[in-house]
Amino acid sequence: MERVTSTSLRRAGLIAGTAILALGATTLVVAVLEARLGVPNASATYLLAVVAVAVAFGIPAAVGTAIGSFLLYDFVFVQPTGALVVADPEEWLNLLLLLALGVVVGQLAGLQRSRAETAILRERQALAQYRVGRELATATTAGAAMPPLVQLLRTEIGVGRAWIGLGPGVAGERVMADTGSTGPLAVPRSYEVLQRGAGDETPLWVRIHEPRPASADTPDPQVQCFRVPIAIGGAAAGSIWLLRSRSAGPPGRGDTRVLAAAADQVGRALERDRLAEEATSAEIARRSEAAKTALLDSVSHDLRTPLATIRAAAGSLMDPAVDPEPAVRRERAAVIDREADRLNRLVSNLLDMSRIEAGDLRARLEPFPLEDVVDTTLERMAELLAGHPVTVVMRADVPAVEVDAVFIDQVLTNLLENAARHTQPGTPVRVRAEELAGGRVRLTVEDGGPGVAPESMERLFKKFSRVPRTGEGSRRGSGLGLAVVRGLVEAMGGGVTARTSELGGLAVDVDLRAVPVPESVPGGGPAAGGSG
Amino acid sequence: MTDESAAGAVVLLVEDDAATRREVAAYLELHGFRVVEAGDARTALERWSARRPDLVLLDLGLPDADGSVVIRRVRRDAATPIVVLSARDREDAKVAALEQGADDFVTKPFGAAELVARLRAVLRRAAGPAAEPGGELRLGSLTIDVARHEVTVNGRLVHLTPREFEVLKVLVAHAGRLVTHGRLLRAVWGTAYSDEAHYVHVYVSQIRRKLAAADPEGRLHGLIVAEPGVGYRIRMPEPGRS
Repeated sequence: MERVTSTSLRRAGLIAGTAILALGATTLVVAVLEARLGVPNASATYLLAVVAVAVAFGIPAAVGTAIGSFLLYDFVFVQPTGALVVADPEEWLNLLLLLALGVVVGQLAGLQRSRAETAILRERQALAQYRVGRELATATTAGAAMPPLVQLLRTEIGVGRAWIGLGPGVAGERVMADTGSTGPLAVPRSYEVLQRGAGDETPLWVRIHEPRPASADTPDPQVQCFRVPIAIGGAAAGSIWLLRSRSAGPPGRGDTRVLAAAADQVGRALERDRLAEEATSAEIARRSEAAKTALLDSVSHDLRTPLATIRAAAGSLMDPAVDPEPAVRRERAAVIDREADRLNRLVSNLLDMSRIEAGDLRARLEPFPLEDVVDTTLERMAELLAGHPVTVVMRADVPAVEVDAVFIDQVLTNLLENAARHTQPGTPVRVRAEELAGGRVRLTVEDGGPGVAPESMERLFKKFSRVPRTGEGSRRGSGLGLAVVRGLVEAMGGGVTARTSELGGLAVDVDLRAVPVPESVPGGGPAAGGSG
Repeated sequence: MTDESAAGAVVLLVEDDAATRREVAAYLELHGFRVVEAGDARTALERWSARRPDLVLLDLGLPDADGSVVIRRVRRDAATPIVVLSARDREDAKVAALEQGADDFVTKPFGAAELVARLRAVLRRAAGPAAEPGGELRLGSLTIDVARHEVTVNGRLVHLTPREFEVLKVLVAHAGRLVTHGRLLRAVWGTAYSDEAHYVHVYVSQIRRKLAAADPEGRLHGLIVAEPGVGYRIRMPEPGRS
């Protein structure tokens, strides 16, 4: 910190120079007044120089100048001149009055000056504290405020380097912000730590020696290290660190107050962050609790509805009082079968949903032709789709897609079930696969039903959202099907969107990654042409 | 409702849930099967040794041992058809069971009618070799002349590439069984390609297209059925319908 040392030297030189210059000029004026104009005693003129120096440099300089005036006047103008001897007792009185006036005026002017200085210093400290506070208050988190904060402290306090480390112990602190750029710093074995008393007690700098082995990068011995502890609710949370030239000494009282206030404010900001975080996680927990309740309501309803139907049908079959026709009996049994199937699909979706939410869903992607899954699924769902004319539009050259076979089966099942459940019997359903540009294949399931209002489209894929469909037919659905579709498709690296179909109802587009058709499948290996 | 392939066939039903087991047994008996029941692997192996059933219907999740123990033991002794019962998302278990020698699987929960149809198909396949003395494989209107490398549908020649021919031949030779992708690849391309299920999909698509072109009546529609993630099976035509 050469800079600080040279500054104080230069200042001392400046004061001496100015005083000498002022005294010289005054001596010239006095000489002119006394010799040329015949003024008997012009020594009071020296008071001007004393006042000027007092205003400019304070009391010590003023007193020095007053004494200088006394000696100079005595030497130059009092008989016998050229010696510090006074012959005339009247001259003594004059000289002593000059000295006394000089000292008193100088002190008064100097006091005024130091009051003004103190006021300026206070204002600067207040401004510094205000800026520290503003950095912390306007930043979204305490961490974000720290880089500007250390820059501010470095310039305000006048130190070489400032940084903030967070952590319960000095050794384990993590540097959050640093004005230096020379990589991490080793804290020296001895440093000054700011001890804070209770209440308004003036904080004190106390030297600390830590019994640690000296590391290779021990800082320059000319540099002193200062630590201002940061506490959250009384517990150590980190430090503000400063490096400063040893010759500059510890920070003054005003700077110390700024540092102490900065550490307090950082501590409060950190605590505020922690409270905000706790509030956020409490809110998340509350919402997730609400979602769970919605899940239970929805699921218990959807599980119980088919169970109720099954028990009713089984009850009528068991009742000894009624002996239904074989045709009626078969119909009851068919109801049981159908509702059990529905329960099975619901359970599959619940399992998938819980895996999606747990992040436990791993797609086993393999090239797979859509026609395989479309045929199989349509056949399996034939009964549910019985009332609906289903068309499949798929060109023979649609490339295979990269999917998990089980996932894509569930996706198509849910889309078809959704279309069948939310439309009147007789409503057409269309399954279409087409190649898109950019190596993608779009699988669309659409219906000619009442459709969904455009503003509700995105909500379709949210869990448990039962988007109202216009008209009758929106009786059932757990609100899980489309959410599962989205979860599964995204797990396969695809995307799902909803729109209004050309058929009039809802169209759901599933975009999947296409697999380029290999020009020729390798013919190597033992061709099993053994038979011929 | 009964047909000769099921009449009197003895089924060893291995299922640990007593209610399910009894219900399935009752239904199978209605369809002419004779059912031997077992609730765990140990009993299953005892019954297998004592009765030598014509078919094993095996739930993979047993209380005392993994179902694969039963598969390995049965395969050591005989080629008796094995049908595995398994949950939807247990692809690995299905493939493992099939690779160990099971013939097919039925996903739980299953429809009773579907189960009986699958058991019959497996028994028909076991009843007699599909290949006729002249080196021909016949399946309804489809004929594969193994010696001459020719496929005909209702007498119309279908032009298949050598590898397409091999894929179709392996599938038809195992008609009624589920052939895993791995098994197909090993049979047609060799062991080096057993992870490249994509080849199989491409070839099956081509075969379907060529068969459909030679079959304007659509009799062979749905002949090759995909089991997503597991393999392919040839749908056995119901007797008297082809």
